[in-house]
Amino acid sequence: MANEKVIDAKGIIKIYDDSGVPVHAVRGIDYTLTKGEFTAIIGPSGSGKTTFLNVITGLDSPTEGEVWLSGRLLSEMSGNELSDFRRDHIGFIFQAYNLFPVLTVEENVEYIMLLQGVPKEERHSRVISMLEKVGLADYASRLPSRLSGGQQQRVAVARAMVSKPSLVIADEPTANLDSKTSGALLDMMRQLNEDTGMTFLFSTHDEIVMKRAKKLVVLTDGKLDENNPPEEYE
Amino acid sequence: MLLKLAWRNIFRQKRRTFLTLMTMAGGFVLSSLSIGWMNGSYSSIILFFTNNRTGQIQVHHEGYLADPSIYSTIDNYEQVGLLLDSFPDVRTWAPRIYTGALLAIKPDAAAGQASNAFSNSAAASVIGIDPTREQEATGFSDQITEGEMLTASYADTSLSSTGQILLGKELAITLDASVGDSLILLSQAANGAVADKRYVVVGIVSTGNTQIDRRTSYITLLDAQNLFALEGEAHEIAILSRNFNEVDNLNTAISERLIGRNLETNSWKVFAKEFYNGMKADESSLEVMIFIIVLVAAMGVLNTVLMMVLERRREFGVMKAMGTRPGFIVRMIMLEANIMGFISILLGSIISTAGLLFLSKHGIVLDPPLDYGGTVFREMVASISPDCYWIPAVCVILTASIVSWIPALKAAHTKPAKALRTV
Repeated sequence: MANEKVIDAKGIIKIYDDSGVPVHAVRGIDYTLTKGEFTAIIGPSGSGKTTFLNVITGLDSPTEGEVWLSGRLLSEMSGNELSDFRRDHIGFIFQAYNLFPVLTVEENVEYIMLLQGVPKEERHSRVISMLEKVGLADYASRLPSRLSGGQQQRVAVARAMVSKPSLVIADEPTANLDSKTSGALLDMMRQLNEDTGMTFLFSTHDEIVMKRAKKLVVLTDGKLDENNPPEEYE
Repeated sequence: MLLKLAWRNIFRQKRRTFLTLMTMAGGFVLSSLSIGWMNGSYSSIILFFTNNRTGQIQVHHEGYLADPSIYSTIDNYEQVGLLLDSFPDVRTWAPRIYTGALLAIKPDAAAGQASNAFSNSAAASVIGIDPTREQEATGFSDQITEGEMLTASYADTSLSSTGQILLGKELAITLDASVGDSLILLSQAANGAVADKRYVVVGIVSTGNTQIDRRTSYITLLDAQNLFALEGEAHEIAILSRNFNEVDNLNTAISERLIGRNLETNSWKVFAKEFYNGMKADESSLEVMIFIIVLVAAMGVLNTVLMMVLERRREFGVMKAMGTRPGFIVRMIMLEANIMGFISILLGSIISTAGLLFLSKHGIVLDPPLDYGGTVFREMVASISPDCYWIPAVCVILTASIVSWIPALKAAHTKPAKALRTV
């Protein structure tokens, strides 16, 4: 089980050509993420972390290369198949939280289960359970605008995990949080990782995340830094 | 969830939503009032036209409408009348004889001076009417502005006696005739004989249509039958229906009962073709007006929906990243536009009902009066009908759906990675 591949990316190249000037965001990455990892991709701004995460989750398509996600080749999936696959297998945590402002905390967490067609009773119990885990059970009926940044990011974590995805992607999840809140949030995610065996992949340049990651992958100028091979910590 | 999301999204920008609702409701109200107003006007004009003059259905000898001839008559019209009386929807009917004649007047005849010269003469159409039935059908005496109605009991129809005649107002002016003057009617009877008789002007008629009043005179049906050798015959039977909306069905029913008699029945849409076509042309102008109103409202809705989509681009990116299918996003945006449509229909219906009720009771005095095909209308009122609601409602919903379709597709095909990069 430990060697089960969640992500298997081969020869990934991503070139943006929006303004007519080609920008090489990712320059040929081979990468494998196995089940249960709690890995952080680190690197300076502009090193291609977010682009790489977008490509390996099917949010963007690679210019070259192929991505296998939980045994499925992303480029062979139709738009709806890809949507359904993300819905059922990937949880996202964004830097800017990106909660739906018109939905309450409870409804935000419930949303993805509605897409999955989870029965109402089960949805409710899973929402309550997840909000308890992130310490926001008392805030269920609040709108996101009435929560602090840290609370909103905890809701985002609950939303990402409530559907029991095989992979949680967190793109700079602590960028807008203070160090204390960031530490608490990372501790909570690490605990969830250990409790559930869920795989986490972060992009960050926050030391707080790096310190708590079980594995670090360094990305420089769109490539895995060969001078800094992936390190594993326990 | 879809409904909840759509409903709450609408009220994210309350001021903009309010303005959009007002635009859509305004379009609804304007369309609704226009339809009510036009329907009311049409109804007034059509009812006035048919009730006061033509009737809603007419019976003629086959081919008479296409080629009116003194010889194309309804034989034994009273028997046809008895058959018409058996239809519950027939309120009443009136027989008529139509022919032409030369009317000549000696200007000094009234003054008692002897002269053989007829200084004033005019070609006129002569309509033979049954005074009692005509009064019952068209309220004919209401159109007599001077003098009195033809005497229903007047029985002396001999050619040597002096008959009674009514002149159209403008015809009386042409002849310089007034009530009490006598004139000579000269024509040809159906049997080829010369038809001439002296008449005394008993009244002046003003139908409200100057073209008709300039060339029409009226004598009693019995007198006309005798003068033109058409005993027991008539050229036309005008039928008044109890229910205007059922005229076409009544026309068909009567038609079926008259098969084999060489008679034809037509509704006002056929025998008053020009009038009916005029009405249809006016309806087209109403359609153009509603189209323009809808177009203006559509621009407002399009602007709002586009703004909504552009502002929420990042949100759509998040939705898609989480696995929301494009169809869900399309449905959500179209639902938002349609919810606004339904609210505006509700608001618009309340405002329209108040406006239509006011206009249907008080109407608007036309100053100057409206001359429609020679018929003058001094006041118009609106009428409230289902058309006033369902047509604008369908327009609003269709507009909301069509206008939101493109922004919805745009939102549904948001590229998550790109949208998530937007601030």
